[in-house]
Amino acid sequence: MLTQALPTWIPRLSFAPINTAPRGDTLVVIFLRGAADVLNMVVPHGEDAYYQLRPTLGIPRPDDSSTKKEERTVDLDGFFGLHPNMQSLLEAWQSEQLAIIHACGAPDESRSHFKAMELMERGVDDERGPASGWIGRHLATLNTGNSSPLRAVGMGTRPQRSLSGSVPVSALRSIADFHLGGDPRALQQMRTALNTVYENDIMGQDTLSMMDTLETLDPLTYTASRNAKYPDTEFGLALKQTAMLIKAEVGLEVSAIDVGGWDTHFAQGSTNGLMPNLMKDLADGLAAFHADMYDHMQQLTTVTMSEFGRRASENGSLGTDHGHGSMMMVLGGNVSGGKVHGEWLGLREGQLIGPGDLAVTTDYRDVLGEVITKRLNNPAVNEIFPGYEPKLRGILG
Amino acid sequence: MTLSRRDFLKLGTLVTASAALASCAPAFAYRKLTGDLPSVPWTAMNAQDFLALNRLTFGPRVEERTRFAEIGLQAYIEEQLAFDSINDFDCELLLSPFKTLKMDTDELEGISNQLFENYDREQVPNKLRQATLLRQLYSKRQLYEIMVEFWSDHFNIFIEKGNGFFLKTVDDREVIRKHALGSFRDLVWASAHSPAMLIYLDNQANEKSHPNENYARELMELHTLGVDGGYSQQDVMELARCLTGWNVKEHFWLGDFVFKEDIHDTGEKKVLGVTIQPAGQKEAEQVIEHLVTHPSTARFISNKLARRFIADDPPPALIEKATQTFLSTQGDIKSVLRVILLDGLPLAQPKYKRPANFILSALRMLNAETDAVALHDYLLRMGQLYFNWPTPDGYSDRSADWQGNLMPRWQFAFELIRNEIKDTKHNLTALLDISSTGILQDDVDALASLLLGIPIERVVRDELIASVQSAGATPEETLQIIAASLIASPAFQWR
Repeated sequence: MLTQALPTWIPRLSFAPINTAPRGDTLVVIFLRGAADVLNMVVPHGEDAYYQLRPTLGIPRPDDSSTKKEERTVDLDGFFGLHPNMQSLLEAWQSEQLAIIHACGAPDESRSHFKAMELMERGVDDERGPASGWIGRHLATLNTGNSSPLRAVGMGTRPQRSLSGSVPVSALRSIADFHLGGDPRALQQMRTALNTVYENDIMGQDTLSMMDTLETLDPLTYTASRNAKYPDTEFGLALKQTAMLIKAEVGLEVSAIDVGGWDTHFAQGSTNGLMPNLMKDLADGLAAFHADMYDHMQQLTTVTMSEFGRRASENGSLGTDHGHGSMMMVLGGNVSGGKVHGEWLGLREGQLIGPGDLAVTTDYRDVLGEVITKRLNNPAVNEIFPGYEPKLRGILG
Repeated sequence: MTLSRRDFLKLGTLVTASAALASCAPAFAYRKLTGDLPSVPWTAMNAQDFLALNRLTFGPRVEERTRFAEIGLQAYIEEQLAFDSINDFDCELLLSPFKTLKMDTDELEGISNQLFENYDREQVPNKLRQATLLRQLYSKRQLYEIMVEFWSDHFNIFIEKGNGFFLKTVDDREVIRKHALGSFRDLVWASAHSPAMLIYLDNQANEKSHPNENYARELMELHTLGVDGGYSQQDVMELARCLTGWNVKEHFWLGDFVFKEDIHDTGEKKVLGVTIQPAGQKEAEQVIEHLVTHPSTARFISNKLARRFIADDPPPALIEKATQTFLSTQGDIKSVLRVILLDGLPLAQPKYKRPANFILSALRMLNAETDAVALHDYLLRMGQLYFNWPTPDGYSDRSADWQGNLMPRWQFAFELIRNEIKDTKHNLTALLDISSTGILQDDVDALASLLLGIPIERVVRDELIASVQSAGATPEETLQIIAASLIASPAFQWR
C-alpha cells in the first residue's frame, strides 16, 4: 500500500537511442504563441486580393508613393516583402542565410490555439500517437555521445511541450537566477544534502551540475560579437543566453524559445502598434543573434514557427481572427536562403479555404524533417513524426 | 511504518517544522490565527490517507490530520463539502482589512483612476493575489478554496489585459467564489455576464458589422464542450453572432455589463443544430442553457475535475460515473465532486505539486506565519503567479508540465527554513518539541512524518545526517539543512 501511494518516478531513457551519430547543428526553435498574422510579416504585396481583404491593416506596396517610405513593405523578390519593422532581417536575407517558407502549417483545422499547439509540439496529426514532443523524440532517438544536462534547454519557467520525452530537459529563465545563495560553507552543506536526497534522480542531478556550470556565466557582462545588440526584452535575453551557452560549449543541442502575444483579434496595428512591436522584437532579436553567432552559422540552425495563421481578411476590430496557413523562417549557414519557398495559391475566393484562410501547401514537418535529416544527423524522422512522411523541399543546401 | 531507502530516494520525502515565533510575528492577526502551536503531537499517517488529505487540502496542518484520524475519509469529505457550515471566522477576520475585495466596479474603478497621484496599477491585483494565498493558507474550508483555484484556472482571466486588472476582483467574488461549489450552470452564466471575461476574450469588440469570435470559441472549447465536444467552426461563428452586443460599459458605470442592442446581429442563427430566433440578449443565454447540460460538457468537466483530484489520466469508469452524476443533477458541482472524491481517491495516482501548492504545503505543514506578499516573486519564478497566465486555458494541471524547474523550489526551501523570506516566519524547534524528544534523530523523524506522512528509513536518515555533518554543519544547522532538503526533495514535490 505504501508503494502505491508513493509517486512513481517518471521513467527516463526507457528505450535506448536507435541511432548513433556525431552531433550536428545546434537547433534553436522559436515558437510564436497565439497564431502569428504572417500575412503582415511576409507580405504578398503582389496580390491585389491582399489589399482588398485588408483595407485598414494591409501594409502598403513597396512602390506606394501615397504613403511614407518607412511604412511600406520592404521588397524581397518582387512579390513578397517584409513588414518594415522586420527589415533588420535584410542582411541575413541578402547573405542567403535566411529562408522563408510561406503557406506552411499543419493539417489540423480546429483553429484552436491549444489543440493546434499541442499537436504541433507533439508532431502528430491527432490525439492518437505519442504524448512526447517532437524534439524530445529527436533527442531520444539519437545518441550523440553528449550527456550534458544542458543538451536541451527550454527558455522560460518551464520546458516546452515539444521537448518532453525520455531525455531530461532543463527550464532556464535566467542564467543569473541559477544559484542557491549563502556563503561557501552553507552552500557546500546545501549541495551535500541535495545530492543525497536526489541521489538517483536525473533531474535533480542535472540541476546540480547546471548550477556549477552556470556559475561562471553572466548575461549582464556578456559582450556580443560584431557589436550585435539584442533587444532588451525577454526574447532578446533568451537569444543572448542561447548564444552564451553555445559559446561556452556546454553541450547545448536544442534551445526552445517562446514569444507570446500574437493572438491579435483586436487593434493589432498595421505599421505601428501591438503587432508591429512584436515583429520588431522578433526581427531585431534574430538579426542580433545572426550577427553575434556569425562565426558559428555553419553549426547552427534556427527555426521560427506558429500554431496556425490568421484569417486573410481583417475583422471589424482592426484585428484578425484565427486562420490556417502560416509561415516559417529558417536561419543558418546551410540554408538555401534569400528565397521564399513553398507553393503560393493566392488569396482570392476559391483559393482560400474554410472561412477565408490561407491554404497550407507545405507541411511544417517537411521543414523540420529536412532540418533533422540534413543538419541534425538523425535519420529517425519516422519516429519523430509518426504517420507522416516528410518531403524534402530543398530548404537546406 | 517507514519509507525504505529506495522509496525515499525515488520519491523524495521530507520534513520540516515551524511554529509561531512570538518575537518576530509579522502581525498580531496572523499570530492569533496561526501562531498557536498544534495542541497535540502528530503521528505518522497511512500513505493512502496522507495522499487523500493532500488532495483535500493545500497540504495538511496537524489539526487537519487529527480531524481526519477522528472521523475518517468519508465524513471528512462531507464536512468539507458542507463548507458554509465550517466556522471560518479567523480567516474572515484576517481578510477584513482587504477593502478592495468587497468593492463594486465603481469603487474599484475609482481607486484605479490613473489620474490619481501615486497611482499603482498593481495595487488591486496584488491585494487579490495576496488574499487568495492567505485564504489558501489559513481557511478551514480547504476543499472550497481548492475549487476556487480550480475554477479560476478553468475560467482563466489574464489580469494584465485591459481593465481586467481591477475587474478580476469582481469576477473572483461574483463568479468564481460565489458558485465554486454550487451549480455549474450558474457558474457559466455568471462568467458569461462577467465584464472581466468579456474584455479578456474580446467580446466588447464583437459587433454585428464585424464579429469577433474569440469568446464564442472559448466558451465552447474551454468552458463547456471541450475541443472535441462536437462543435464546428460554423457553430463558433454563429454563437459569436448571438453574442454580438454583449459588452461592457465604458463611461458612466464603467465596467458594468451591458447589452448593446444597436450592435447586435438581429438575424436568425443556428448553433449546434438548434435554430435561434431573434431575441436579443436571450439568444446567447439560450445557447448557454444548452451548453451547460450538454453530455460533452458533463464529460469534459468530470474529466478535468478528476485530473485535478485523482490522476493526470483518470480511470475511464470514474469519469463515466461522474459524467452520469453531472447529467442527472444538472451539473451540481458538489454531487459530481463527491463521486470523484469517494470513488476516485482510493485510485489516486501521484500528482506533481504545482508551484503554489508546493509553497502552500510547506508553509501549512510547518505552521509558518506569513502575510504572503513575498510569495509572489517565488511564484513568478516558478511560473504560477496568480491571474498571470496569458492564455485562456489556465495553468496546466498535468504533472509533466511542471517538472524540470527545480531551482526556484530549492531556493524557496532554503530561504524559508532560514527565515529569510520577508514577513514569513516559522519556529522549527518549538514545533518539533511537540512531537520529538529534541534528539536530532527524533527531530528528523518527526519532521519527515509531518512533511511526508511517515519517517524516513533509519539508515537513510542517519546517512543524511552524517553527510550534512561531514560538510561541517553544527547540530542546529544540520536540522535546518535537513528540513530544507526534505522540502526540496523529490518526494515533497508530489502530492
